[in-house]
Amino acid sequence: MTWHVRPDLLERYARGDAEATQAYSVEAHLPSCEHCRGQIAALVDAGRLERVWDDIEEHLDAPRRGPVEAGLIRVGVPDHVARLLGATPALRLSWLLACALVLVFAAWGASRRTEGLVVFLALAPLLPIAGIAAAYGPDLDPTYEIGLAAPMHSLRLLLIRALAVLVTTTATTAVASLALPGLHWSAAAWLAPSLGLTLTSLALATRLAAPAACGSVAVVWLLSVAIGGRVTDEPLLVFGLAGQLTCMLVAAIAAAVLARNTDSFERRGGIA
Amino acid sequence: MSAERSDVEVLAAVADGDRRALRVLYDRHAPWLALRLARRCADPGVVDETIQDTFMAVWRSAGRYSGQGDVGAWIWGIAIRRLIDALRRLPRAEVLVAEVHDRPCVEEDVLLGVEHGDLGGALSRLSPELRAVVQATVLDGLTSREAGRLLGIPAGTVKTRMMRARAQLREELA
Repeated sequence: MTWHVRPDLLERYARGDAEATQAYSVEAHLPSCEHCRGQIAALVDAGRLERVWDDIEEHLDAPRRGPVEAGLIRVGVPDHVARLLGATPALRLSWLLACALVLVFAAWGASRRTEGLVVFLALAPLLPIAGIAAAYGPDLDPTYEIGLAAPMHSLRLLLIRALAVLVTTTATTAVASLALPGLHWSAAAWLAPSLGLTLTSLALATRLAAPAACGSVAVVWLLSVAIGGRVTDEPLLVFGLAGQLTCMLVAAIAAAVLARNTDSFERRGGIA
Repeated sequence: MSAERSDVEVLAAVADGDRRALRVLYDRHAPWLALRLARRCADPGVVDETIQDTFMAVWRSAGRYSGQGDVGAWIWGIAIRRLIDALRRLPRAEVLVAEVHDRPCVEEDVLLGVEHGDLGGALSRLSPELRAVVQATVLDGLTSREAGRLLGIPAGTVKTRMMRARAQLREELA
């Protein structure tokens, strides 16, 4: 390209004073002429372009959103909550797949024998508390230190994540229940125990580390299922009406304890 | 260091994730983009935002440059569409299309037009509304719909104005 825009026209164009048809010529010429682009660059406020560049770098440095986080934001969850949920270990695909696998095997077992049904019903409520045990704590949570320093109540973080875990595992279990033989009431008998165990674990987590709290609840639960079945010759005893009501009662008590102990939780700087 | 590298080479480096190459491209193209965008949108904040969006898009889709045409023209194609997106997010009243509102002095334009020969003169004698449409569709390469969004008028109006502009130019150049 041998033709170049006259310097005075470039200056008028940069000031916004160039007459329309001349401006058209300049604009048609610039995309393909490195020389004139270089000339005109000197006429633009460099500080302003530097600020825009800083913004660009900031955006390039920002971490990319994972599929979970992006999906939550699309549904209307606020950014910061979505980020916290996205970092929840129990919302990772590997975790959800593991849950689904456990449930598939349990449901398959349940379709064979009554003992299989007991195993399914005993396992299903354990999934959410396993998720909660992993949802918060120095060992498994990648954002644990950030969470401690964040201006957010540790209990609130735990509750947000517990809710997410409860929702996802409940949905998975509900789907698995449909695979049980004959749609019997027992297909939903894990719901109340699930709620009871979750709330008890959370209440205990105000005193103990989350894995310890969830672990002891799980042990007590499995013992009561086993003993209840042995003592009375009725393997589904724990899941009968009395058992369901007990679970509800335990859930209510645990919720009350949790509500009273929110302060002690924060004083200890979260669960450690 | 990279003064000898052509735009195409630099863009290929950007596609490979080289951030310094993006900076080279930015230094070469952001200044004229800023000026050209400013002629289509009077709000410097929107222009800055558009430049930012444009180079973010270049960073992400550098690999999609086909190799046809100037890299500068390719970047401009992204920039003008980002500007339209940015304008769509704004309430209409805040947007001033500089080209339409900044030229009250038609007489001077006509005189200059004579000075610069037939086509330039004929273009200059178009009303500012018709000229804005010619600029958006011919020079910026926008579709009627995109031009309508840029200028804040319906796509149908863009088409009728373009027809009128063409008729007037044909008459004057005949």
